Amino acid sequence: MIEFKNVSFKYANADSGSLQNISLRVRKGECVLLCGQSGCGKTTLTRLINGLIPHYYEGELSGEVVVGGLDVRDIELYDTARIVGSVFQNPRSQFFCVDTTGEIAFGCENLGLPPDEIEERVKLSSREMGAINLLGRSIFQLSGGEKQKIACASVSAMRPEVFVLDEPTSNLDINAIHDLKETIRLWKKEGKTIIIAEHRLYWLTELCDRVIYLRNGEIECDMPMREFCRITPEGLRKLSLRTRSLKELCYRKVSSQAGEYLTLQNYRYSYRGSMPPVLDIQEAVLPKKGVIAIIGNNGAGKSTLSKCLCGLQKRFGGHCRCGSAVYSRRQMLKKSYLVMQDVNHQLFCESVEEELRLGMDGADEKELVRVMDSLELTALKERHPMSLSGGQKQRVAIASALLAGKEFLVFDEPTSGLDFYHMERTAKLLFSLGREKTVLIITHDPELIVRCCDYVLHMEWGGVKEQYQLNEAGLLKLRYFFENGERKRISVE
Amino acid sequence: MSLGILQTTGQQRGMILDPRTKLLLLITVSTFVLGGLGGEKFSSVIPALCLITLILLLTAGRIKAAVIYLAAYLAAWLAALLLLPQLSGPLYFLVLGSVGIFSRVMPGVAMGVYVVSTTTVSEFTAAMQRMHISEKIIIPFSVMFRFFPTVGEEFSAINAAMRMRGISFGGGRIGKMLEYRLVPLLTCSARIGEELSAAALTRGLGGNVKRTNICCIGFKMQDVIFIALCFTAFAAVALVYLGVL
Repeated sequence: MIEFKNVSFKYANADSGSLQNISLRVRKGECVLLCGQSGCGKTTLTRLINGLIPHYYEGELSGEVVVGGLDVRDIELYDTARIVGSVFQNPRSQFFCVDTTGEIAFGCENLGLPPDEIEERVKLSSREMGAINLLGRSIFQLSGGEKQKIACASVSAMRPEVFVLDEPTSNLDINAIHDLKETIRLWKKEGKTIIIAEHRLYWLTELCDRVIYLRNGEIECDMPMREFCRITPEGLRKLSLRTRSLKELCYRKVSSQAGEYLTLQNYRYSYRGSMPPVLDIQEAVLPKKGVIAIIGNNGAGKSTLSKCLCGLQKRFGGHCRCGSAVYSRRQMLKKSYLVMQDVNHQLFCESVEEELRLGMDGADEKELVRVMDSLELTALKERHPMSLSGGQKQRVAIASALLAGKEFLVFDEPTSGLDFYHMERTAKLLFSLGREKTVLIITHDPELIVRCCDYVLHMEWGGVKEQYQLNEAGLLKLRYFFENGERKRISVE
Repeated sequence: MSLGILQTTGQQRGMILDPRTKLLLLITVSTFVLGGLGGEKFSSVIPALCLITLILLLTAGRIKAAVIYLAAYLAAWLAALLLLPQLSGPLYFLVLGSVGIFSRVMPGVAMGVYVVSTTTVSEFTAAMQRMHISEKIIIPFSVMFRFFPTVGEEFSAINAAMRMRGISFGGGRIGKMLEYRLVPLLTCSARIGEELSAAALTRGLGGNVKRTNICCIGFKMQDVIFIALCFTAFAAVALVYLGVL
């Protein structure tokens, strides 16, 4: 179905992600996992299959890529679109329409199918994806998982032979991953060819038949899944790959930091126009020092909690008690900092140094040097923040929060889309931050939690379902949550 | 600007008008209220058009937008009626100018909000295709419909980030404030735009087959009424110019 003959590619204006001498043959009906470190060329490979290279992203291409018997270089993108359907990483930016029905129909409309047939296909594919109750909604009201369902349905409605998924789970919670798994299983049963580039491996071991490992733009190994499963956990670490099974997780023992507590009181919030409160916590006691993981499904109230904690939510009346001090919303806004999932939103200046000086609160020059050193930013201080890599940007944001004298640091999905090596680095950094500050992490990444968190806050329906120390018993609870999710789901409306 | 104002929800869009009717209404409101077509003789048309805009916003369930619009318009009108006679000198001209601009621009903006917030991308595309407008024009316009709410989302995230850093207006740093807001907004918008086009292209946009559309658009009773109203207004102006009326 797909054939690569001695393919090399280099982007016109970037060094990373280039490919060298790739030869590869994927048979019809195969389900292939592409893995490897960040920047190894996984995404580039998927772009060659769906024709975005060379038609959209420019660069030097040599060799031959044949999909469904046609050379992708010779056919236009809209013809490739009939054979190959693509699902991308970021659910925010892969929709053309603003309503769900229009979006699922969009691809078929482009193919020029008659309206009756399109209606039929929209119904069928949304039923298959379990998205029938999402029809006719605005995409801005959907959660990440729901958006990804719509994306799958809209690709599926075009009935391509090949499906290409580029890190489809990096914004998804455990239930949404489970749903996506079912979708892919269905495509597989229909005999479609499926290519998945992904960092998280644990949901794919039962699904994929073949694993291709890329390193620096070359295929290092290409093996059946059976063989891949025989690699030892240590071997996986060497390849910088994430864990294959959540059973391998073990926690890091820390001497429990007894001492101060932080009490959140009257944490209630409901958005305008929605009746049941999104957040409804009478009182919650959390350790003051340490790293606290906030887990739960999409829509459980995690982001609302973090926004309220950072004092970003106007009309929020709760407060935070710490020892004898009581902090109101406005004081929390001064004392806390949210590192967003898209760090680009919070970098404003022309150089890293200027960025760090902005909003520096009484910290002196020595402190600036110390923080820059500890976060490995000294060499980058002249660079423009937007020219840095994702991890570097994240460190700049952290440094600016530290220098502004913030005490509560909240992270929204700090490791989505990171490979093992980068995830572990982030985990170390978060752990060391937690020795001095209160660090809260909203995450769907169990591997990150076991590497840096001391405490877990599990949220459900706006309230606290459970909270526990991450020890032997806590690990079992955590593992149970990530293996099973919350099956009992009540659809809204 | 509140985030929800430009977002189209699939359901509950009140009285459904054909996108073409909406465009015609938008043009009519702009030419008469903003452009002042017809001069003094047609000054009575203006309140009627303003009222239509208000009613449309209300039927679409945009209560908040409607209230803001009504309040702003009434304030401008009252200022012209009560405040202006009391003033003199430069202050008079200042108030006169701002009241004039406000009462002329507001209805057009309100109608624009109504059109954008009640039309889905596919309806808009369908309407443009019925009018036999080239794809080269339709696609950029439909991307615009998609892009406004996205920029709104980005903007509110950036705003939150700035508040946490304690950056706010004051201290005469208005230039800096704009820069801090625009730099991340532009980079994020550029990236989203790029990813958006890539996604649209892999779904076969821009092919050589004729696009179909599942949207049922068409003129209904209410469309006929509004179109008749608009044409009457324009016809009256034409008659005045020809010297008939």
